[in-house]
Amino acid sequence: MEGAFGFAPLLLVFPAVGVLFNTFAGRRLVQADRKTGEMYSGWFASLMAFSAFLVAVVLLFSLRGHDFHAEVVTLFDWFNVPSANFHIPWAIQVDTLSVTMMLVVTGVGTLIHIYAIGYMHGDPGFHRFFAYLNLFLFFMLILVSGSTYLMLFVGWEGVGLCSYLLIGFWFDRQNEEGKAMNADAGRKAFVVNRVGDFAMVLAMILLFWTFKSLDFGTIFSGAVELFEAGHGVELFGMEMSVGAVLTAVTFLFLLGAAGKSAQIPFYVWLPDAMAGPTPVSALIHAATMVTAGVYLMVRSNVLLEIARESTRLGVEGANVLGLASPDWIALTGAATAVLAGLIAFTQFDIKKVLAYSTVSQLGFMVAAAGMGAYVAAMFHLITHAFFKALLFLSSGSVIHGMEHGHHHLHEHSHGHDAHHEEEKFDPQDMRTMGGLRSKMPTTFAVYMVGSLALAGIFPLAGFWSKDEILAHASANHGTVFTVVYWMLTIAAFCTAFYMGRQIKMVFFGAPRHEAAKHASESPPLMTTPLIVLAALAVLGGLLNFPFFGESAFETAEETHNFGIFLGLEHWLEHSIPTFELTTEGIVQMPHTPTWLQLSVAGISTVLALAALGASIFVVYRNRPQTADERDPLQSTPIWWFAILPFEWFYMHTVVPAFKGSARWLAEVLDGAFWHDFVHNNVVRDLFVGFAKFSATVLDANGVDGLVNGSGRFVRYVGSVVRKTQTGYARNYALGVFLGTVLLLAYFIFAN
Amino acid sequence: MLTLVTFFPVLGAVIILLLKLFKKESDLLVKQLAVGTAIVTFGLSIALLTQFNPALGGLQLENKADWIPSWGISYYLGIDGLSILMVLLTTFISMLAIASSWTAIKEQVMQYYIFMLLLEAGMLGVFLAQDLFLFYIFWEFTLIPMYFLIGIWGGKNRIYASIKFFLYTMAGSLLMLLAILYMGITNETFSLPELIAGRSAFAAVAVQNTLFLGFAIAFAIKVPVFPFHSWLPDAHTEAPTAGSIILAGVLLKMGTYGFIRFNLPLFPEAAYHYAPMIAVLAIIGIIYGAIVSFPQKDVKKLVAYSSISHLGFVMLGIFSLNEAGLQGAILQGVNHGLSTGALFFLVGIIYEQRHTRMMSDFGGLWKAMPVFAVLSLIVTLSSMGLPGLNGFVGEFTILLGSMGASSLGSHSWIYTAFATTGVILAAVYLLWMFQNVFMGPLDKEENKKLRDINGGELAIMLSFLLFIFWIGIAPAAYFGLMDSTVAKLVADLLSAAPLVLH
Repeated sequence: MEGAFGFAPLLLVFPAVGVLFNTFAGRRLVQADRKTGEMYSGWFASLMAFSAFLVAVVLLFSLRGHDFHAEVVTLFDWFNVPSANFHIPWAIQVDTLSVTMMLVVTGVGTLIHIYAIGYMHGDPGFHRFFAYLNLFLFFMLILVSGSTYLMLFVGWEGVGLCSYLLIGFWFDRQNEEGKAMNADAGRKAFVVNRVGDFAMVLAMILLFWTFKSLDFGTIFSGAVELFEAGHGVELFGMEMSVGAVLTAVTFLFLLGAAGKSAQIPFYVWLPDAMAGPTPVSALIHAATMVTAGVYLMVRSNVLLEIARESTRLGVEGANVLGLASPDWIALTGAATAVLAGLIAFTQFDIKKVLAYSTVSQLGFMVAAAGMGAYVAAMFHLITHAFFKALLFLSSGSVIHGMEHGHHHLHEHSHGHDAHHEEEKFDPQDMRTMGGLRSKMPTTFAVYMVGSLALAGIFPLAGFWSKDEILAHASANHGTVFTVVYWMLTIAAFCTAFYMGRQIKMVFFGAPRHEAAKHASESPPLMTTPLIVLAALAVLGGLLNFPFFGESAFETAEETHNFGIFLGLEHWLEHSIPTFELTTEGIVQMPHTPTWLQLSVAGISTVLALAALGASIFVVYRNRPQTADERDPLQSTPIWWFAILPFEWFYMHTVVPAFKGSARWLAEVLDGAFWHDFVHNNVVRDLFVGFAKFSATVLDANGVDGLVNGSGRFVRYVGSVVRKTQTGYARNYALGVFLGTVLLLAYFIFAN
Repeated sequence: MLTLVTFFPVLGAVIILLLKLFKKESDLLVKQLAVGTAIVTFGLSIALLTQFNPALGGLQLENKADWIPSWGISYYLGIDGLSILMVLLTTFISMLAIASSWTAIKEQVMQYYIFMLLLEAGMLGVFLAQDLFLFYIFWEFTLIPMYFLIGIWGGKNRIYASIKFFLYTMAGSLLMLLAILYMGITNETFSLPELIAGRSAFAAVAVQNTLFLGFAIAFAIKVPVFPFHSWLPDAHTEAPTAGSIILAGVLLKMGTYGFIRFNLPLFPEAAYHYAPMIAVLAIIGIIYGAIVSFPQKDVKKLVAYSSISHLGFVMLGIFSLNEAGLQGAILQGVNHGLSTGALFFLVGIIYEQRHTRMMSDFGGLWKAMPVFAVLSLIVTLSSMGLPGLNGFVGEFTILLGSMGASSLGSHSWIYTAFATTGVILAAVYLLWMFQNVFMGPLDKEENKKLRDINGGELAIMLSFLLFIFWIGIAPAAYFGLMDSTVAKLVADLLSAAPLVLH
C-alpha cells in the first residue's frame, strides 16, 4: 500500500469535480427535466462525496501499512518569496489525525448528501445547493488535510464562505418586517468569523517570524527543540522565550476557534445560521465545520502543552492574567457549555434548541482540548458528529412532516386554489407540534436514539465520549480542572434537561396544531441515512471503548492490528504524541484515565437520568397543552437567559456604534470637511494663489508676448472666479497647468 | 523594445487621426483599430517578458539617448523587477478597459479612443522612464487624457470631478518638480542610476528629508494616502467605466511605484525616518477607507473608498522596507488593479442598463442575472482577501512583512494588528454591498428585465478571473519576477541606513 498515498490529491479532486459538474451542467439538467435532472445532480454530488470517503479509507489502510507515520504529499508551490525565505507549498499531510477528520467529514457528509436529495426535492436552486455542498467538502478537506497552518487557513476561510452561501441559500426570503433574514444571517456568520480570522492571521505571522515556517512538522519540532534547549527567539528586535510566544499564539488560536467553533464571545452567529436549509445545519453547523476550532487545538497540541508548561515553570510573559492560555481555552469551553446549555432551555424553535446544544457540546470539546484531553476531544467530536447530525436531520424530517401536514391541511380546507390568505405558520415552532410519535414513527425512534446519546445515557455513544472528558477533568489536579469539571457536569445536566423538554414537546402529548395532526413520515431517501446515523450513534462508543484501552491488548503486535479499529487512543497517539520534555523534568501532560471512572460515570449518569426525568415527568408533565401556553419556566430566572446576553450586547453597543461612527465619518468628516471645506479653502485657494503668482512672475520678467498673454489669461481667470465664488471652472486647472509648463520652460530655456 | 512598447499605442492613435484626415473614419473602424492596438501592445509586453531576465537585480533592456545634454537630461528607458509587473498590468488593464468601452461610449468615439491610447503610452512611460526629467514629463502627461476622459465622457458632476482630480495631482507634482530640478541641477544629471550613485550630494539630513517629502507628497496624492484622498471618490464616481478601471487599475499604482522607484533608493535614511509616520497614515487609510465605504449608497463610490483601504495595505508593505513587505506591496498593487478593475467593470455593466448605481435601486439581482452574480461574488471575495484568490496573497505577504519590519521598530506587531483589522472591515462593507445588490427579493420591475452578462463581457471577465485565480493559487512565478530586484533594493537600503537603525 506504500504508493497509495499518491491517491491523496484525489480527496480534493472529487469534490472539485462535483462543484464543476453542478455549476456547469446542473442547471441545464434540472431545467430540462426536473425529475431525472435532480437525480443526476444530487446523486452525482453524493457520489463525489462517497468517492472522497473511499479515498480516506484507502489512506487509512495506507497509514496502517506505513507504521502510522505521517506522510506529506506535496502538490506544487504556493507562496515562494526566496529573498524573504517565505516558502509555502500546497501539501497534504496524511496522518492519523487528519485521516480521522477526513473519514468523519466525508462519511457523515455522504449521508447528508443523500438525505438532501430528498429534502431539497423541488427547490428551484437544487443544483446550486449541491454545488455548494461539494464546495464545502472541498474546503473542509483542505482544512483537515493541509500540512501548513496557511493551508488550514485556506480551508478555514473557504468553509466560512460556504457557510455564508448556504445560510443565505434562500437569499430572497424576507421576514415579516421585510428584512432579508437569511442573507443577514449569512453575513453575520461571515463577519463574526472574520473577527476570529483576524486572530488567526496574526497567530500565523507570529509563528512565521518565530520558526521561519508555517509547516506543522517544522514548527512542532522547532518548538520542542527551542523549549528543551531553553533558547529564546529573536522577535521584534528582542529576545523572547518560546513559551511567551506560544502563549500569545495559542491565545490567538482561542479567538480564532471561538469564531469558527461558536464559543464565547462569538457564538452569536450559530443560532442565526439555522435559517439555512436543515442538511446544512447538520453538516456544516453541527458535524463538521464548527469542529474546525477543536481540530485546530488538537492539531496544535504541542504548542498548547509548551505554553502550559511554560506557565507552570513561571517563564516570563508566558501567562495571560496569571493563567496559561490552555487554561483559558478550557475555561472558555466550559463557560460556553454552561451558558449555551441554559439558553437552550428558553428556545421554542426545534432547530435553535439543537443549535444552542451544538454550541454547548462544542464547549465540551474545546474544554477538553484546553485541558490536554486531545483524544477525548476528538472522540467527542466524532460521536457528536454522529448524533448531532442525526438530530438535525431528524428535526428536518419533523419540519418536513409538519410542512406536509400544513400543506395537506390547506389543500383540504381550500381545495386546490393556490392563492389564499397566508396564515402565519412556523413549521419549526415546537409549540405547534406534539404527538408526532405516532405520525412519524421512524423519525421518532431515531430522534430518541440521538437525544439519549446526546444526553449521555449508557451505553450510547455520547455517554462514553462525554464521560472521558469529565473523567479527565476530575482525574487531574488543579483549580482550573476542578472548576471545569463542575461546570461541565452542570452543562451535562442542562443537556439532558433541554433534550427531555424537546422530546416531550415534539413527540408526546396531543397535537397542538392542525398541521401536527396531519403530519406524515418522510420518504425513505431521507429516513435511510437517519437509520445509518442512529446505528453510529449507538455504536460510536466502541471507537474508544475504555476497556479496550492500553491494557486490553497483550502485545504491541495486537495493539497494532486491532488498535486501528477500536482504540482511538492508540490510533491518534501517532499524531498526538505523549511527549516528554525536559527543562527541569517532564512536561506534565495532563493524563486521561484509560479505564472507566465509576464515580464520574455514576454521577453523570444519575444527573442525566434525573434531568430527563425532571423535564419529562415533572416540569413538562402535562404541558404544553395548547400552542400559546406559557412555558412553565418562563417565570423563573432560567428565562433571563432568553435575552441572549451577548447578542443583546452586540446589537445595542458594537453594531450601532459602528454604524453611527461610519455614517459620521462618511458624511461629516469625509464629506463636509475633507471634500468640501479643505478642498475649497485650502487646495483651491492655494492654486488660485499660485496661478496668480506664476502669472505675475512671468509678467515681471517680461518674457515674450505669448507668455505674457497666457499669464494675463491665467490671472484673469483667477480674478473672475475669485469674484464669483462659484467654486470651480476648468480654467483653474488650465491655468495651473500652463503655469507649470511655463515654469518648466523657463528653467530649461532661460539660460 | 521598451520604446516600441511605450509608443506603440501612440502609433495607433496617430493612425486613427490619419483616418480622420483621409475622411475614412467610422466608429466601428476606430474601435477595431483601438482594440487591435491595445491587444498588440499587450502582446508586445508579453514578448518583453520573454526577454526579461528575472535573475538580474538591476535595469535591463535599456534604451538610452542624449536629449538635452547640457542639462544632463536623457531619453532613458529601462526595466527591472520593480516595473515589469506594472508594465504588464498596464497593457493588460488598458486592453480590457479599451475593449470594455465598445458599447458604453457612443459620443465622440474617435477622441475617446485617442485619449485612451495616449493615456496607455503615458503610463507605460512612467513605469519605464529612468531619467527623472523624462519621468516627470510622462507623469504629467497622463493627467491630460485622464482629465478629458473624466471631463467629457463622465457623469453629472464630471467638470467638478475632473478639475478636482487635476488640481490635486498637479499640486503634488509641483513639489516633486522642484525636488527633481534641485537634484538634477546639483548633480548635473537627471539619470536615476547616476543620481543614486551620486546621492551623497543631497544626503544631508535636512536636504534629504525635504526632497523625500517633495516626492512623497506627489506620490501620496496619487496613491492616495490618507488624508490626500478626497479627489478619488469624485473622480471615480464621475469617470466613465473604462476611466475608473484605468484609474484604479493603473494610475494609482503610479504613486506606489514612485515611492518604491524613487523615494527608497534616493533617500534611504529619510525612508527609514519617515517609515513609521507613513505606516501610521497607511493604517489609518486601511481602516478609514473601509469604514467610510460602509455607509455609501452609490456602489461605485463604495468601491472607490475601498481602494483607499486596499492602497493602505500597499503603502504599509512598502514602508516595511523588507523583502516580504515590498514584494507583497508590488503584487498587491497588481491584485488591486485586477479586483477593483473588475468590480468597476461589473458596476459598469449594470449601470449601462439601469443608469443608476444606487444600491437601493437594486436587490435580488442574483435571480435576474445568475452568471453575473457568481462572477461578482468571486471578484468581491478576491477584494475581501479570501485565501485561494489573489487578494489574500498580497495582503498576507504585506502583513507578514510589516510584523518583521525593522523600519517599524519593536512595536511592529501593533502596526500589523491594526492593519489586520482591515480583513474584518472588508467583510463588513463588501458583504453589505453584495447583499444589497444581489440578495433579497427581486422586487423592482426594471430589475426583472435585466439581461445577464453577454459574450463580450464574459470574455473580459474571464480574463480578469484567470489572473485572480492564478495569482491566488500559484503566485510563485510572480514573486520570482521581482525577487532579485527587491532583494537588491533592500540590501542597498540596509547598507545605506545602518546608522538609522541602531
